[in-house]
Amino acid sequence: MGNKQTIFTPQQLDAYQVGHSARREAGLFYRYHNLAPQLVPLDYTSKPDVKLPYELIGSMPELKDNPFRQRIAQVFSEDGEGNMTLDDFLDMFSALSEMAPRDLKAYYAFKIYDFNDDDYICKSDLEKTLNKLTRNELTEDEVRMVCEKVIDESDLDNDGRLSLEDFQHMIVRAPDFLSTFHIRI
Amino acid sequence: MLFVTPLLLVTAVGVAAADLYGTEASVRPETAVSAAPPATLSASPAASPYPPEEYAEAGIALARSADAHDPVETTDSGDASHHGGGYKIVQWEWSYVQTPYIIAIWILVASVAKILFHFSQRVTTVVPESCLLILLGLVLGGVVLIASKKQLYQLEPGLFFLFLLPTIVGDAGYFMPSRLFFDNLGTILVYAVVGTLWNAFCTGFSLYGMKLAGIIDEKVEGGMMEFLLFGALISAVDPVAVLAVFEEVHVNETLFIIVFGESLLNDAVTVVLYKVFISFVEVGPGNVQTADYFKGVASFLIVNVGGTLVGLIFAVLLAFVTRFTKRVRIIEPLFIFLLVYLAYLTAELFSLSAILSMTFCGIGCNKYVEANISQKSRTTVKYTMKTLASIAETIIFIFLGISAVDKSKWAWDTGLVSCTLIFIFVFRALGVIGQTWVLNWFRLVPLDKLDQVVMSYGGLRGAVAFALVVLLDGHKVKAKDYFVATTIVVIFFTVMFQGLTIKPLVKWLKVPRSTNSKPTINEEIHERAFDHILAAVEDIAGLNGYHHWRDKWEQFDKNYLSKLLMRKSVYHKGELWEVYQKINIRDAISVIDQGGNVLSSARLSLPSMASRTSFSEVTNVTNYLRENGSGVCLDLQVIDTVSGGKVEEETETHHLLTGNLYKPRRRYHAHYSRHFMTVGDKERQDREVFQRNMRSRLESFKSTRHKAKGRHKKERSQKKRKGSDAKEQEVNGKPRRNVSWQDTDPVTAPVDSPEERSEEEADKDEDVGITFVARKHETLKEPLKERPKSDMLEVYQSLAVIPPSPTCAEKHLPWKGGGGTLPVCVSMETTKIIPIDLQQAWNQSISSLESLASPPVQAEPQHPRVRALSRAEAARGGNSGGSDSGGSGPAQDPRFHFPNDEENGQSLQQQESQPLMSSMKPPAPPQVSSTQGMGRRPPTFNRNPCVYLRSLVSASPPGSEPRSRGPTQL
Repeated sequence: MGNKQTIFTPQQLDAYQVGHSARREAGLFYRYHNLAPQLVPLDYTSKPDVKLPYELIGSMPELKDNPFRQRIAQVFSEDGEGNMTLDDFLDMFSALSEMAPRDLKAYYAFKIYDFNDDDYICKSDLEKTLNKLTRNELTEDEVRMVCEKVIDESDLDNDGRLSLEDFQHMIVRAPDFLSTFHIRI
Repeated sequence: MLFVTPLLLVTAVGVAAADLYGTEASVRPETAVSAAPPATLSASPAASPYPPEEYAEAGIALARSADAHDPVETTDSGDASHHGGGYKIVQWEWSYVQTPYIIAIWILVASVAKILFHFSQRVTTVVPESCLLILLGLVLGGVVLIASKKQLYQLEPGLFFLFLLPTIVGDAGYFMPSRLFFDNLGTILVYAVVGTLWNAFCTGFSLYGMKLAGIIDEKVEGGMMEFLLFGALISAVDPVAVLAVFEEVHVNETLFIIVFGESLLNDAVTVVLYKVFISFVEVGPGNVQTADYFKGVASFLIVNVGGTLVGLIFAVLLAFVTRFTKRVRIIEPLFIFLLVYLAYLTAELFSLSAILSMTFCGIGCNKYVEANISQKSRTTVKYTMKTLASIAETIIFIFLGISAVDKSKWAWDTGLVSCTLIFIFVFRALGVIGQTWVLNWFRLVPLDKLDQVVMSYGGLRGAVAFALVVLLDGHKVKAKDYFVATTIVVIFFTVMFQGLTIKPLVKWLKVPRSTNSKPTINEEIHERAFDHILAAVEDIAGLNGYHHWRDKWEQFDKNYLSKLLMRKSVYHKGELWEVYQKINIRDAISVIDQGGNVLSSARLSLPSMASRTSFSEVTNVTNYLRENGSGVCLDLQVIDTVSGGKVEEETETHHLLTGNLYKPRRRYHAHYSRHFMTVGDKERQDREVFQRNMRSRLESFKSTRHKAKGRHKKERSQKKRKGSDAKEQEVNGKPRRNVSWQDTDPVTAPVDSPEERSEEEADKDEDVGITFVARKHETLKEPLKERPKSDMLEVYQSLAVIPPSPTCAEKHLPWKGGGGTLPVCVSMETTKIIPIDLQQAWNQSISSLESLASPPVQAEPQHPRVRALSRAEAARGGNSGGSDSGGSGPAQDPRFHFPNDEENGQSLQQQESQPLMSSMKPPAPPQVSSTQGMGRRPPTFNRNPCVYLRSLVSASPPGSEPRSRGPTQL
């Protein structure tokens, strides 16, 4: 194989090449394909409507300890259910590549935290995050306290929740903050 | 000027004793030695009259300086003349003390100079200390020169490399912020390797070109190889200078770590280039074969990798050794200094990169060593390292200044000097820009123009270059004197001019400074979260990226390394506790200092992400508590207690409590308690603090009571299981644990199963010690006095701070109060009775108690039982009570009324209103009962947990004493 043209149309390639070389693109595609060989056809020129069900991703052994696996899949999948199309799959890497602008990263990070999709990080979101991170080792009181502190720290408009602006401001304030938020493909 | 006098004296004496030159020579090495604090060596000079020889020889080997040969003979002759005469009442034993004396004087001069500099704040804020030190050195050098016509002192390469440099590098490596370092490792490596190579070759070739063009004087003899050699040694950014200047500038962390990391890691490049070119110069450029170039490349790899490996090997060794220093805490710091220093020397021994070796040894061992050694050792290490590094740095700069005043070594060539200055500056800037351009392709947060300016401008040269150039063999490198002069000028220019102007420049350019603020909670959380997210995404993609490897590394570290290198008691979750401890300390300090919110666990490296996060939060909790409550006490233990209470509460509400938290803490404390016990002074304070906390909890007791009722069910079920000793063993792991420690109590002992014991053997010593129940006696005596104070304090603090934890508080209190009595009254059964949930809470509470004092811990277990009994009885009625108490009548009563009922009832009421009073009374009954017999006690305890708690509070006082007393009393 190795010839991407057999897989993608040139337009598709252009669209995907946000932060990737064509070669990487192909590499990702094969990965995508390998995740579910029976579902994903090798010929993508006809834009087949294929989705990788979340169960496949969520059951990967490497991910079994990862508290955010489901959330990641949900955020990056178009249907919000964690079922990822190839586009979703590639978008995910685009957003996390070194080339992606900081705002985009911040946006996705925000989305990941925003569990209830109301465009604000509210207390319940923070509590979820915390519990995921600590594997429920904290008590309610502690969680509450931490959440209050977090909101206290970065809630600029005092509405008791964090908007995207609050979040971005927080990130700008700490320049190195997002420096690690990228992967190399 | 004042300082000069001793020096002059010294010189004069030296002249009298022997020939001037010899003395000086011998003095030099020693002086340097003194600076080389790594205690190892300092002892030897003082002990033996001939230390100079050793050092001089070392100097020769390394430095190959001609001077070095003299000192040996000279000193000998000097000694001979002194000891030759008859008996004298007072003898002038100068030659005997000469070496250490001069060393000490030099250090004194350097230190006093620092003090003087800092008298004027205006001066030090504008002028970097390094500049002032160099100036002072120039002055001193001038005075010495005038006085003796010759320059007696100089920065001797051997001493510099063997003693002065290691102290600075060791400090830097050991305290290197490892996460920051490794996050930027790629960038650092590029700058260190590519950048240094670029600088070296460009400077070398350009200078050679200038030479050919005639701009550099003919007198400067040298071919291409000589200039390349010079380029190699002048191109390396110097860690000492960078540290000295950048620490005052406070640029942001990333920038600092890049420049500083580069200066450390470029050592390997410099060493190799230097050696390669020296050998080329010796052989002659014509005789260099192509194979030699490849050898050069090979040696570069070996020097690099070898140095790193040596460092890591010693890091493992060091971590492993500190695992077993439990009984010899006092020499823990020594091991650290010795092994880190040995890593340096070993690398030097094999002519590997010593700086790399030491740096990686420090980075590698830090985590494990910090976990293994005691808090005091940690402080000692920190202070000693900083002190040594500071002194070494001071001496280096002073000697740089002094060395400059030496006519014999100077050979000035304006062309060479100015060309060198221009070239190193230009090429540094070009190199930085070029590399940054490439690197920015790979960095998410690119290095912007300002960063590049600072980086190019921060390319300071320093003592390493000087030492290297002095090491040159004047016979083989004809232009050595010119090179020396040029190097000195370059160093002075970079350190003084650039060092002086970099601060205004940074201000003017508005380069983002490092904010002193600790990472916010947001950052804490998000950093962790990002790690997880990225690891997940990489996993999905099947990539083995940076995060993947870091994940893997953390796994490996957790599964193997930590087990191997960390003390057993620590590694189980001990790291958590270490971190927790650290955070608490920092919190306490910062809270007191500024009353602000401080959360800084970022620098602490924890093996497991989750745990780390959870801990940072705990910290917050602690903070929270501190802010609202007792801001006065700095003691670790106090803090722990508070948090412990929190944890307990949480546990009760949430059964989620991890056994981990509980266990580690207990262990940790256990091993810690020793120290505490040894410390007599703190006991009192601890006691008071403890009491305060306890009382606050008591106050909140009311609320707890309600909760207690809800638990009856569980208690019942457990009771059934545990009805008899035999049944006990059947109990699940958790209950057993409790039992095991409770076993420590004299009474309960039989309950423990062998397995449990074996597991906890290590801890047992301490635990057992804790057992005691001796407190009661103390309570009687001491509580009376102390209570009033504590009550006062508690009244406001407790309410505000710890309202939620009533149940926990109860538990604690009972333990303490029961501590003495409990063992007797409570049978093994009681332990069984306690519901699992409660047990956890107890454990936690116990651990918190332990923090205060070891004894409380043991006492606590008993208390839980008591409580359990009381509850169980209440629920069940007479059955459980009877079995538990082992025949005591009162136990049967659901209400647990005892002979002391009256008092108890009072105490209950009092608790709410007057904790003091209640505490006083309860303790007494338990003692009586204990002495009399098992049966009575259980009932008393059952009645009012609060009462017991109070008694505990009063009794709880410091652990160490109670232990010893307890047994005897009983």
